[in-house]
Amino acid sequence: MNRPQNQVNKRDEKFADRTVTKIWDEEPDPENSYLARHCRCHGYDIIELAQKRSFVDVLFLLFQGELPNPAQARLLETLMIVLINPGPRHPATRAAMNASVSKTNSAHLLPIALSVLSGTHLGAEEVVAAMRFLQKRSEENPLKVATELLENPGPPEGDWHIAPGFGSRFGGIDPLPREAADLLIALPGHGKTLQWGDNFAEEIGQMNLGWLSTGLAAAVFCDLGFHRLAGAGLFQLLCAPGLLAHGLELADKPITDMPFLDEIHYVITKEAKKR
Amino acid sequence: MSLQKKQKKDDTSFWDKRRGKIHTAKGGWIIGEAVYNQGYSMLDDLVGKKTFFQVLMLNATGRLPDKRLAEWLEALFVCLSWPDARIWCNQIGSLAGTMNSTPVAAVSAGILAADSRMYGPGTQTIGASFILEALRKKNIGKTAETIVEEFSQTCQGAVPTIPGFVRPLTRGDERVIAIDQVTEKLGFARGPHLDLAFEIEKVMLKKYQEGINLLGYSAAFLCDQALTARQQYRVVSAMVNSGVHACYAEAADNPPESFFPFQCKDINFQGHAPRPVPKKKLKK
Repeated sequence: MNRPQNQVNKRDEKFADRTVTKIWDEEPDPENSYLARHCRCHGYDIIELAQKRSFVDVLFLLFQGELPNPAQARLLETLMIVLINPGPRHPATRAAMNASVSKTNSAHLLPIALSVLSGTHLGAEEVVAAMRFLQKRSEENPLKVATELLENPGPPEGDWHIAPGFGSRFGGIDPLPREAADLLIALPGHGKTLQWGDNFAEEIGQMNLGWLSTGLAAAVFCDLGFHRLAGAGLFQLLCAPGLLAHGLELADKPITDMPFLDEIHYVITKEAKKR
Repeated sequence: MSLQKKQKKDDTSFWDKRRGKIHTAKGGWIIGEAVYNQGYSMLDDLVGKKTFFQVLMLNATGRLPDKRLAEWLEALFVCLSWPDARIWCNQIGSLAGTMNSTPVAAVSAGILAADSRMYGPGTQTIGASFILEALRKKNIGKTAETIVEEFSQTCQGAVPTIPGFVRPLTRGDERVIAIDQVTEKLGFARGPHLDLAFEIEKVMLKKYQEGINLLGYSAAFLCDQALTARQQYRVVSAMVNSGVHACYAEAADNPPESFFPFQCKDINFQGHAPRPVPKKKLKK
């Protein structure tokens, strides 16, 4: 039998000789070049930013390269407040609580919760998909898009996300993103994506579908000019405070402070038992 | 007396020597030649010839163990592979599955969760440190009773929480019987750490009705195999992996958010009653 002759040759690729960034400029300390004497974010000294600008302004600057105008800053800050806590019933929050009560290293609580919040269902990946959907379809008539998508059959059971960021939650329209959308649209910083998303949500409302938190975040990120790839991490960042707070609330509490289902409520099917 | 004056220029020679280079005694890939791993060629000496658990131990400890020790470690991982979605790390896998996170995110989150002071790999260091110290005490003439008594003086509760001898949720540990059978089947003799662990268990059972658990057994066994506490922590770090997979897979194969859903009233809110948000004070 002939054996494959797998020759391995290094590709002739030219790698950068140093790591490149346009975000952060570190000026070396004259006495120790491993330490930075001054740090500048897109040209602005970080200490000066700390003196003169808000957290939201600097967050926007970090990702966009320029400081926001007041309307943009207000829009982003409002979204940050709206998303600050997915709530104690949200699976990502429950993951943080679960880990905390079972004495997980507290430095892991946030990564654990954010991993649960990373998925395609109401998570970071859905935000990216929703930004893609909004960027692709928001030039079209929302009624036409809704009509087209409503022709698809929904799943036989469970919630239907007719498009990323839009759909049902526990069989109904989630009232919180709906109300938050009204609040955000009333702000001068809102743009055409948020408006289009609201019109689209209106059209699909007849089918008991509406805004989801991921769609709302996606629309605001689009209007503020964030890159689609930033959507996932930004969504996680904005939801992180609530996840951490709920996790920490259970730190050092006994495991009995959270439910642990008894055998009656933990139902193992016959098939799963020993054959 | 005065503190020495700060040197004018910081001494950075330690970092200067390392700047721009990676020095490794582990190995690496020399393209077109071989992948070296601590004196072995990965593809010539290890792939297909050594088991995954042998290579895991080589990578984590620097020592390639014989096959039976790697088999024992694999059996230990199987002991931690329960597909019970109530176990904290596993439930995190289920929660990730119900939100359609990736399996890598779910399993990573589950493994992180088991880095706990109460169960899983996070306890291995304290388990090993306890039995190492206990054997040191025994070797200077202290009995198991004294060792337990001394430890109990450092604890507040009625039962001393000796790492490896008190288990959450239950008294006793069925996994100890299973892993002990593996130890015997593989032909390992009980070493001094494991012998002492069982002596301590006798005291704990008599005084507190608490027996040795899998941590107590595995830490003592691995000490007998000359693994340090640090090395033990490293080799067991991913040991809940497969139980998390099971729980993730089932939740991910079902409709999103169908795993163990809560209504609002399923949360017992005990905080502040509703109140209006106060107006912001105007800046002067």
